[in-house]
Amino acid sequence: MSYDPADAPAEYPPELSRLPPGRHGLPRDFVIHNQRERLIAGLAEAVAEKGYGGTTIADITRHAAVSRRTFYEHFEGKDECFVAAFDMVIEQLRERVEAAYQAEDEWADGIRAGIAAMLSFLAAEPNLARLAMVEALVAGPVVVERYDAGVQTLLPYLEEGRKGRSKAVLDRLSDSTEEALVGGMVSLVARRIVAGQTDELESLLPDLVEFTLAPYVGNDEAAQIARA
Amino acid sequence: MRPPPGRQRLSREFIARHQRARIVAALAEETMARGYRAVTVADIVRRAGIARNTFYDNFSSKEDCFLATQDFAVEESLQRVVDAAAKADGWEARTVAGLGAFLRYVSDEPALARTCIVEALSAGEAAQERYEQSLQAFIPLLRKGREYSDHGDDLPDTLEETIVGGIFWVIYRRIVLGEAERIESLLPDLVDFALTPYIGAESAQRATARL
Repeated sequence: MSYDPADAPAEYPPELSRLPPGRHGLPRDFVIHNQRERLIAGLAEAVAEKGYGGTTIADITRHAAVSRRTFYEHFEGKDECFVAAFDMVIEQLRERVEAAYQAEDEWADGIRAGIAAMLSFLAAEPNLARLAMVEALVAGPVVVERYDAGVQTLLPYLEEGRKGRSKAVLDRLSDSTEEALVGGMVSLVARRIVAGQTDELESLLPDLVEFTLAPYVGNDEAAQIARA
Repeated sequence: MRPPPGRQRLSREFIARHQRARIVAALAEETMARGYRAVTVADIVRRAGIARNTFYDNFSSKEDCFLATQDFAVEESLQRVVDAAAKADGWEARTVAGLGAFLRYVSDEPALARTCIVEALSAGEAAQERYEQSLQAFIPLLRKGREYSDHGDDLPDTLEETIVGGIFWVIYRRIVLGEAERIESLLPDLVDFALTPYIGAESAQRATARL
């Protein structure tokens, strides 16, 4: 599955990217919604540029091209805006993974499609990738809790792979198997983003597929599926 | 040089090292008690039972002290891992011994473990970077397994990074959930997780069966 950057939440039709002041004839609800999303995109851009710690409200409003007052109509402060941005990225990631997984008949194909969807989204959205996978941890305990919860939502996809396995396989899997697999995958992706290799994330697909499938289908079959 | 006045028999160097270790331990305990962000230099100074000046003789700031705490814990835990592994025979047994020593360190040093495995992630960019580097230290130990694997050359390049990341994530979660004292019971599962890609499920199970 490939991700179309045109769907990117950070990008808007040119006519919306700067709403003229005053009477632009757009419905108020639309403007409010649009402003909020623009602020979120503005924050993502500012954070990508200066890191979370260095980002100020002025940076966010400049990138979003809205007034400071507008910012405070939507958010109490930087932290709240960041949490909203984080939640939005995780929701988008979750939706893409879910859709890709559900589109496949076989479990192993679904896992591969889900990982591919995650990697292609992050590669296409380097600012959002950095925000969700790296800066989120720096942003403080509230976001760390959400980060953990976001990672945990990936566990059921792998747990599904236990169904119909032989007793020998099931005996080998432990309570922490899925956590270790998801944790390993997420930490590798985060390391690549930290290293500034976000555009190469999709090349990790075979490695991650092999790594996550192996405990369920065995090393050899996992390698075959990964390199198919 | 003349010795300092009074009945002091300890070398300056010893005292300095000891002081640093005490400050580091105090930072870890305070961090465990109230979360790193809330900790002040005053808290650390009080817990360590030292003068504020002594703190600043050793560290330029709370952040500087945090990084030193990470270095201290990484060095100490890695030393335990290497020592334990050196006593075992063969890569499999060394991995089991090393991982066992690491989990024991985590459960013996709950404050340091929480500080360096949980709080480090949200303690700023430098701390996060230091955390990543510390994970890196475990990679070559594991990578040796390729020499003992029938298909060592075919294994994914990123295998060690994902295994180490996975192990740390599981440990991280246990600490977050307040289950650090039960961490040693994870040993068989984590050994199995680390060995299977190299030597296959059956051999890995034989290794964990002995635990």
